[in-house]
Amino acid sequence: MPQQLKLSELINEIDDAIQNRFAGKTFWITAEITDVKKQTDKRWCFLKFIEKEGNLITTEMKGVFWSNTFYNVEKFEQLTGQPFASGLQITCNVRVRFHKRFGIDLEVLEIDHSYAPGKLALEKDLTLERLLKENPSLIRLADGQYYTYNKQIELPAVLQKIALVTAPNSDGQRDFKQEIANNQYGYAFTVTEFLTQIQGDNSSKLIVQQLQLIESQKEKYHLVAIVRGGGSQTDFKPFDDYELSKYVAGFPLPVFTGIGHDRNTSIVDLMARQHKTPTKVASSIIDHNYNFESALVNLKERFFGSAENLVERAKENIRQLKRTVKAYSPSTILQKGYAIITINGKIIIDAEKINPGTEIKTILRDELIYSTVTKKSINEHDL
Amino acid sequence: MNMTYNEAYKQLSTLVEQIEDNEIQLDTLAEKVAQAKELIAFCETKLRTIENDVTKAFSDKK
Repeated sequence: MPQQLKLSELINEIDDAIQNRFAGKTFWITAEITDVKKQTDKRWCFLKFIEKEGNLITTEMKGVFWSNTFYNVEKFEQLTGQPFASGLQITCNVRVRFHKRFGIDLEVLEIDHSYAPGKLALEKDLTLERLLKENPSLIRLADGQYYTYNKQIELPAVLQKIALVTAPNSDGQRDFKQEIANNQYGYAFTVTEFLTQIQGDNSSKLIVQQLQLIESQKEKYHLVAIVRGGGSQTDFKPFDDYELSKYVAGFPLPVFTGIGHDRNTSIVDLMARQHKTPTKVASSIIDHNYNFESALVNLKERFFGSAENLVERAKENIRQLKRTVKAYSPSTILQKGYAIITINGKIIIDAEKINPGTEIKTILRDELIYSTVTKKSINEHDL
Repeated sequence: MNMTYNEAYKQLSTLVEQIEDNEIQLDTLAEKVAQAKELIAFCETKLRTIENDVTKAFSDKK
């Protein structure tokens, strides 16, 4: 019979193993929370951390706030204005604990409030307020819309020289350039890339640096496109930065943003012309040029249409003149039965020179009649 | 020809106005048609021709 252990002996070994690996260590994790049970009177909070693939929970671990860290829960609710409850994703510092009766769990020591969802919204509101207050000449809010100097810069008729601010080897960079290069109208573009990190704490400063570089050679470009691929809401933090937003609001070249999110709008988006995704920024540039070309084609058709009319009218005038000339020509008159009287080859309009005895020639359509006048009287009744 | 799209467009608009308001006579029509054609060709070419080679400023790559 194999050697047997008491339950406590086995559990002690597990405890030792956990102690060896985890004693004195803390870890930052980001996870969704569920089954949140707050006991405000005791200042405890029990919950479960979970991770899902689709709707299936693949990982689950108990978690707990004890009274010494319970204030984190209260602070979270204060900052976000929402209850600390199931369904939230939080970033927190935890310690692995093992209890011989209650098993393993994660004790939460601290919540990183900068990642709290509502906190971001709150910070954003404060930043927007400050932007409005400190830059009244650049930024104005009317009817829920932000009007900035940058947004009001008139776009050139055609946009061809693009300064692209994006992360190297990113989806955004690839999508944008692909859309531009494959435009169906064959428009030519020059894309000058200003590559920089666009995620992480320092990136708003790096983006400002790239924009400064562009500004120092602004006559080379028609517009600036700032693009990046999609990401979580916290990845957009650099685009809610006060300094970057202010710089964009007053930037001398039109700025198009495609920061890769359909649901959320960053502050930089509000300060510039927002087109949601890198592909949409590119297609809006292409459309802008197409609109110009359409207007051009319209003018072309109007001009050449009118030119044809002008020529057509001139031809018609000539035809009309020809008809008039023909209508008044002697042959047309003779055709109609009239006669022409001549004396010595001169057409006689006034009969003064005609007297009895005068020799006249009468011209008809087909014959000439030579005669001598026998009588002359005033035309009173005939015709 | 060296002008902006705006200038070319404006000139073409003026020609269109003139011809639509019957301000162009037959004897100057050929000249005006040539002008219009040149303006259109200028824009169409410029839209599809790269002025300078594509430049890259990998300024953050050090």
